[in-house]
Amino acid sequence: MTDRLVELGGVPALGSVYARTVLSSGRLGVQRRLGRAPAPAAGGGAVLHVGGVRVDATRLTDYQHLVGEPASDVLPAGFVHAITFPVAMALMSSADFPLPPLGMVHLSNHVTQSRGVRVGDELDVRAWARDVRPHRSGTQVDLVAQVRVDGDVVWTGVSTYLAKGVTAREQPGGATDDEREPFVAPVPTGRWQLAANTGRRYAAVSGDRNPIHLSALAAKAFGFPRAIAHGMYTAARALADVGAARGEAYVWTVEFAKPVLLPSSPSVRVAPDGDGFAYTAWRPGSSGPHLTGRVDPLR
Amino acid sequence: MSDTYLNLVNSGFTKKVAKQLGLPQPAPLRRYRPGQPLLEGAVLVVGRGTDADAVAALLSGPWDLEVHRNPEPDVRYAAVVLALTQVEHPTDLTAPVLAAAGVLKSLTKGARVVTLSRSSVPDDAPAVAAARQGVDGLLRSLAKELRGGSTGNGIVLEAGVGVEAPSVVGALRFFLSTRSAFVDGQLLTVSSEAGSLPGSWERPLEGRVAVVTGAARGIGASIADTLARDGATVVAVDMPAAGEHMTAVANRVRGTALQLDVTAPDAGERILEHALARHGRLDIVIHNAGITRDKLLANMTPEKWDPVLAVNITAQLRINEALLTSGDFTDAPRIVSLASTSGIAGNRGQTNYAASKGGVIGMVRATAPLLEAFGGTANAVAPGFIETDMTARIPAVTRQVARRLNSLQQGGQPVDVAETVAFLASPAAGGVVGRVLRVCGQNMVGQ
Amino acid sequence: MAASKTAGPATSPRALVLGGNRIPFARAGGAYAHASNQDMLTAALDGLVARYGLQGERIGEVAAGAVLKHSRDFNLTRETVLGSALSAETPAYDLQQACATGLETVVSLSNKIRLGQIDSAVAGGVDTTSDAPIAVSDRLRRALLDLSRARSVGQKVAAAAKIRPKDLAPSTPRTSEPRTGLSMGEHQALTTAQWGITREAQDEIALASHQRLAAAWEQGFFDDLVTPYRGQSRDGNLRADTSLEKLAALKPTFGLGLDTPATMTAGNSTPLTDGASTVLLGNEEWAAAHGLTPLAVVVDAEAAAVDFVHGVDGLLMAPAFAVPRLLARNGLTLADLDYVEIHEAFASTVLTTLAAWESEEFGRERLGLDGAFGTVDRARLNVHGSSLAAGHPFAATGGRIVATISKELHRRRAAEGRPVRALVSVCAAGGLGLTAILEAV
Repeated sequence: MTDRLVELGGVPALGSVYARTVLSSGRLGVQRRLGRAPAPAAGGGAVLHVGGVRVDATRLTDYQHLVGEPASDVLPAGFVHAITFPVAMALMSSADFPLPPLGMVHLSNHVTQSRGVRVGDELDVRAWARDVRPHRSGTQVDLVAQVRVDGDVVWTGVSTYLAKGVTAREQPGGATDDEREPFVAPVPTGRWQLAANTGRRYAAVSGDRNPIHLSALAAKAFGFPRAIAHGMYTAARALADVGAARGEAYVWTVEFAKPVLLPSSPSVRVAPDGDGFAYTAWRPGSSGPHLTGRVDPLR
Repeated sequence: MSDTYLNLVNSGFTKKVAKQLGLPQPAPLRRYRPGQPLLEGAVLVVGRGTDADAVAALLSGPWDLEVHRNPEPDVRYAAVVLALTQVEHPTDLTAPVLAAAGVLKSLTKGARVVTLSRSSVPDDAPAVAAARQGVDGLLRSLAKELRGGSTGNGIVLEAGVGVEAPSVVGALRFFLSTRSAFVDGQLLTVSSEAGSLPGSWERPLEGRVAVVTGAARGIGASIADTLARDGATVVAVDMPAAGEHMTAVANRVRGTALQLDVTAPDAGERILEHALARHGRLDIVIHNAGITRDKLLANMTPEKWDPVLAVNITAQLRINEALLTSGDFTDAPRIVSLASTSGIAGNRGQTNYAASKGGVIGMVRATAPLLEAFGGTANAVAPGFIETDMTARIPAVTRQVARRLNSLQQGGQPVDVAETVAFLASPAAGGVVGRVLRVCGQNMVGQ
Repeated sequence: MAASKTAGPATSPRALVLGGNRIPFARAGGAYAHASNQDMLTAALDGLVARYGLQGERIGEVAAGAVLKHSRDFNLTRETVLGSALSAETPAYDLQQACATGLETVVSLSNKIRLGQIDSAVAGGVDTTSDAPIAVSDRLRRALLDLSRARSVGQKVAAAAKIRPKDLAPSTPRTSEPRTGLSMGEHQALTTAQWGITREAQDEIALASHQRLAAAWEQGFFDDLVTPYRGQSRDGNLRADTSLEKLAALKPTFGLGLDTPATMTAGNSTPLTDGASTVLLGNEEWAAAHGLTPLAVVVDAEAAAVDFVHGVDGLLMAPAFAVPRLLARNGLTLADLDYVEIHEAFASTVLTTLAAWESEEFGRERLGLDGAFGTVDRARLNVHGSSLAAGHPFAATGGRIVATISKELHRRRAAEGRPVRALVSVCAAGGLGLTAILEAV
């Protein structure tokens, strides 16, 4: 596959990206129903690139306060994700992206923060898709975002999305997820108080205004009884709960299971595990967690 | 406590109306403030003899007063002293008494009339005894005739006591001063020449350590204030539950607060221990703590009887015993105990209270001799109607009547009791032994 | 060694507890509902001044604090001193270490006395949950601050326009741990379950606390430790007539969502309480000059903290670590202590601490000892009751304990004529614990 480097003039505004994704999803949906949609392929091979990205310190502070981080000049890995997210979205909403972007489910995220990124740094952001593959309920794809500072890769995020009901062109038999072990709630170390406006507040600092997070009405349109918390918000809370012990360089992973319906006060456990920290958030009495993940310092 | 009636009859239109109707005309009483002159005007000393001369010399000399030995026209006297210690026959009273009579109409407001006389005893010649006892009746009647807040009191010298004895001088100064504002129609007996004149009449209790029980409020708080003003270091004692008010008192007088139930078996020891540890000595104990549980005797119960006697008399007896046997209460100590006119004249519904307060009078009479060897005394003060939180609870009409039933036609203030206590606690009062001094405005009831 | 100007005194002075005073503790919304922290601390301080005759006295330093504090109380202790009968020239400072505030004022002032920096001190603490600070919401606060900074009319309008009606709702302080979102009770419920503490054991601790505190009041033990305030002359939370049956009838309030049965009730947990306490400290010379009988020496202190955020230890377990270190440094064991005062944040706080000390595994793995740390004789534990009965106005608890046990130490020493020691242990929010040793004089 040859990478095509597509230069963007700047980080796209997510509002216009979402407008286009709605159009593009609608178009794909109609085409699919008519049997004329192109079958999903392993990415279009394009790499979107935005150079010279600078961080607004006020927005950073707002983000840090919202997720429970101290307002330092070091960017939490989740904030870097928020910066790169519009670029990834632009990629998903481009005409040659094989899957319908709206309504795609965020399955997991794997971030490698190889060194600290600071407020004054000039960020070079790239995003591409890779590894379109089957999932038991559709097709999944990795969206990779990478941030370089002074030519060095400092942050790499791999977001795995699922397009439900979309069948991949190449489908090796039985390549679906393993059945999970039954969930046993651990001893909690804390509880998150997530108010009904959690989605709107995170949307304000992250720029991710996906309607399912903003209001119960919009969420119902997508099949949820109430608004749901941004997955990356909950993962960012867990990252913040690990605290200073993670250092500036770490690997931060999350797997999203059951969505967090707002308002909600899930129990959490964020505790040392092996050389790093493991975390789980769940609703007391539930058969499964909302999310699980790890934070492992890179030393 | 404000006396609305007193205010009304002393101002403007209502004053005129009251006068025309012949209503009681109580006068506002002047009270003591440090720095105040002893008298605001001249003093007339009547009577002949060495005693009268000595008194006149004291007043004009060390006390720097304008003293006249004969009434002068157009002078409004602030005080008249009748020096009658040397009368031999009732007819000896005529000249001095009539001399005094001529100036009574033109006395200043709040003037003082003081008699000095000797006690009559069976050994006296009958004429001498008659003359001496005659002063008693004279003074009590005279006091009832005085108006405008003026008072009349007498000092009775027992045999062997000279007019220059510390207690005679101290009592004379007390009766002349505004400290005795609500003491009226009383005769105070001086039994001995014990006692000493203070270095300063303004701070007679300097260097003395005093314990005041029931010091959290009312009369007790006022006693603490007054003793501290006169120079004493005060240990305020009251029930633990009264601690908040006592804190304010102790901090105001720069003393210490001791939360203690005076009926505790070891109350005396704890008081002494506190005073010695904190202040190095104990000189004065004021038994002020007292309670009432009024009930007609026919309806009396142990619940109403027992605590009144326990607090008002038994506790005092026990504390005194602890002090007297300690060996640490021996430097001219003073015990002053609060009695009551109820304990003298009786009061309906107060058999328990009156028994306890009568008990106090007997207690000081018998305790004083035990202290005499150390230059000590025990005396009682019997308040009449005093404006306190307690009397404020009396029904309005009854209260108005009670207030007017004395020569001054008003209730006294807590400070009036406190001033009398302070006088009896002072070094000069060492010759006043086992007596009861009433602070009642010459209440009509009783002796 | 030649004497120099900078050399300290030949032997450092001892820090003595000379007495104390507190106001009765009242249930939240009770007698002190309208009293502020400053009101209550002033009442406690003035009562101390009255008891010890310190009117107009310039004390070395006064330190006190409150856990729940209005922003206007930025200089609470100094303002209290200015409103008290002490000399206005008495310096003061605020201190805050959650529920350990009161004990930490004793410890830090004692250290100053030991260093010779001051000869006398008043330690204290106060808290009100009735007059707790109410803050405006974050959004309103920001809008108001922006508005005050705005210069042009346009900026002002823009700032004001950001205010939404819902922003006007006040925000009250939460008692939950900021990093975990769990209340102290929920945290302790986890620890209680972890150590398998039974409901019965907790209720027995609560009963003993009430019975012992009631007995102390009956004996007049608090006559020279407490000054009434606002008509309250005894601790408002005290239930002298409680019983195991009454305690057993209460419904659990914490740990309801756990797999194990919930055991913590309103009866074996401390209620929200208002109150204030003070402790008078000084060196020997100052005490003698003021005719004051020293009660106890502040021998040593040790603080500890645990990582409860990541579930390593229970929120209130820090004293379990502090005490072994403190005793080891002083060459003592639990058996050398005549009194053990463990603040009853919850009955189970006391029991989980004791259980940890009795655990072989905890001793080896968490304390680094050869085995279990040791056992506390229950007869020596909280002999005059503790926070379950008296109540717990957060910052005032340390002063209550120090004054109470110092008096008891002195009494015992006077009776038996031998050295008598007490351990004081206070757990606190944020995984903190502060402990100290007092010895009778």
